Amino acid sequence: MKYFNSIIIFLCILGAPLLNARLLVDQLGRDINIPDNPKRVIALAPSITEIIYAIGQEHRLVGVTQFSDYPPQASSLPKVGSYIHLDLERIIALKPDLCIAVKDGNPHEVALRVESFHIPLYAVDPRNLEAVMETIIEIGKLLNAQKEASILADTMKKRIQKITSKTQNIQKRPRVFFQIGISPIVSVGTHTFIHELIELSGGTNLTKGDVPYPRYTKEQVISLSPDVFIITSMARQTIFENVKKEWQQWQSIPAVRNDRIHLVNSNLFDRAAPRLVDGLELLLELIHPSIWKTVMEPTP
Amino acid sequence: MKTANNIWLRISGIAIITLITLIFTMVMGVSMGSSQKDLYAFVNAVRGNDPTLLSIIWQIRFPRVLLAAFVGATLSLGGLVFQALLRNPLAEPYILGISGGAAIGGIIGILINLSRFPGVCATAFIGSMATLALVFIFSSGQTALAKDSLLLSGVILNAFCAAVIMFLVSIVQDSRLHSIIFWLMGDLSHTDLKHVGYISILLIPCFLYIFTMSHPMNLLLMGKDLAHSMGIRVKATSITLLIVSSFMISVTVSYCGLIGFVGLVMPHLLRMLLGSDHRILVPSCVFAGGAYMVLCDLLARTLAKSGEMSVGVITAMIGAPLFIYLLKRSRT
Repeated sequence: MKYFNSIIIFLCILGAPLLNARLLVDQLGRDINIPDNPKRVIALAPSITEIIYAIGQEHRLVGVTQFSDYPPQASSLPKVGSYIHLDLERIIALKPDLCIAVKDGNPHEVALRVESFHIPLYAVDPRNLEAVMETIIEIGKLLNAQKEASILADTMKKRIQKITSKTQNIQKRPRVFFQIGISPIVSVGTHTFIHELIELSGGTNLTKGDVPYPRYTKEQVISLSPDVFIITSMARQTIFENVKKEWQQWQSIPAVRNDRIHLVNSNLFDRAAPRLVDGLELLLELIHPSIWKTVMEPTP
Repeated sequence: MKTANNIWLRISGIAIITLITLIFTMVMGVSMGSSQKDLYAFVNAVRGNDPTLLSIIWQIRFPRVLLAAFVGATLSLGGLVFQALLRNPLAEPYILGISGGAAIGGIIGILINLSRFPGVCATAFIGSMATLALVFIFSSGQTALAKDSLLLSGVILNAFCAAVIMFLVSIVQDSRLHSIIFWLMGDLSHTDLKHVGYISILLIPCFLYIFTMSHPMNLLLMGKDLAHSMGIRVKATSITLLIVSSFMISVTVSYCGLIGFVGLVMPHLLRMLLGSDHRILVPSCVFAGGAYMVLCDLLARTLAKSGEMSVGVITAMIGAPLFIYLLKRSRT
């Protein structure tokens, strides 16, 4: 009897965490105990916030980071610092039962300290479009929204396929210079979302290479003579106008001659979120306007 | 005999007053933070009604406040010692090149992806010790000008280091740049009680040593010949003091980056208030310097609406105007 009791107690202790939690492996390969039905979730990057809204699970969100501005109602949620400089105290004070972090950006020390308060922290590390869709499925699993997540991922996949089916065998691939920094001039290397989007939309990224965000001098850009110039700017329209005016002095650049200098919203291109597909469609419009028309036409 | 008793009474009186100030600011420091500014909630948590806030207070705010106190104490004391030994009112704790060397070391540590503790702290410490050694080597052998050549070598090495820092910053192109910037601005946010423990083991003996040397420091201020005639080994004493204080400053700089102005403002403020007896100034620099830093850190944590400011920004923003005000007042 004595043994029986202790066996029961032992089993209870073993079973206790399993009753309302499950073990999942995050994208860094760590085992994380996740509550069955997370009710207080903190998204530690704007991209995570966008995904959670996109799968309709925003009622679980209790905290976001400073620049989480999409959808607009996300900006009214409590802030826990910016994603590179998290405010540990605010995170703990919000009593989350799950934090979703990004490996690239969130400081490792803060992540460890969040875990020291026994708050599960699930890390994602999407590096390309395919991985973003996987991440959406995983976050759907975390938040009991598998169905919404797979619908979203499927729609994204279909929109991407619609574009790639027209662009993958295209012969004439305009050479694109994608400028993400004004001063100094910064562009994008091979291991970025932007590179992937340029290539998928039938362009050639002039600045491919191992350096993720290479710097360029004006001289180098002019000698690259891009066909299309795309500038993302977190800054205002007036700054873009100035930059555009500066480039316009160089009529030898095809992009300048043909007036193909465009300003785009950087948030569509640097967040590992569903809106990357919007970014892809926008790039198609700017790089291959004629293909864009056929793709975006509603299919009968 | 009576005057001797009096001075010890005065030392302990002032030490106790500044210590109480420090304790008071530390309580203030743990009572508020970025998530809660309402004192009633703090009292409620201390009574045990809010376990989350209580764990925030003990695990996040308390180590940080303790660290701020140690950093403030070290920087103020460092400034005091340097101003006395170099007999230059502009001397600050970083004047012998410690900041530049530590920054280069720290940035290299961040660039090769070391963890913040102990990795980056170790490289920063090595950097600051290396520049310190260089300063001593450059200025040795010129006994007549020793004091000035120490200062000049320190200033020049810091300037050289600043150029190297700019170079390193300009070649970084990813998220590590943010870590570097936060490190350069002074950052107390990644604190752990264990780390504060390690740091205090290194710092407290330095504080005590400097306190035992406070009388010789008084004599040194009166001139080398007089100090010598009073039985002080001038050169040995000065060098040991410089090395001990540089060591403790390196320890704090390596852990929390560059925090400016504290070492300049606090010693001057206290000297104006309490006179120039180092037996009084050393303990009051430790306690009042700590209190000042705890307050600055509290402002850094609570002023910004979202996230937090860098404590180095606050110390400079308060320190510079305060210093000018003091300067004006002491002249009139």
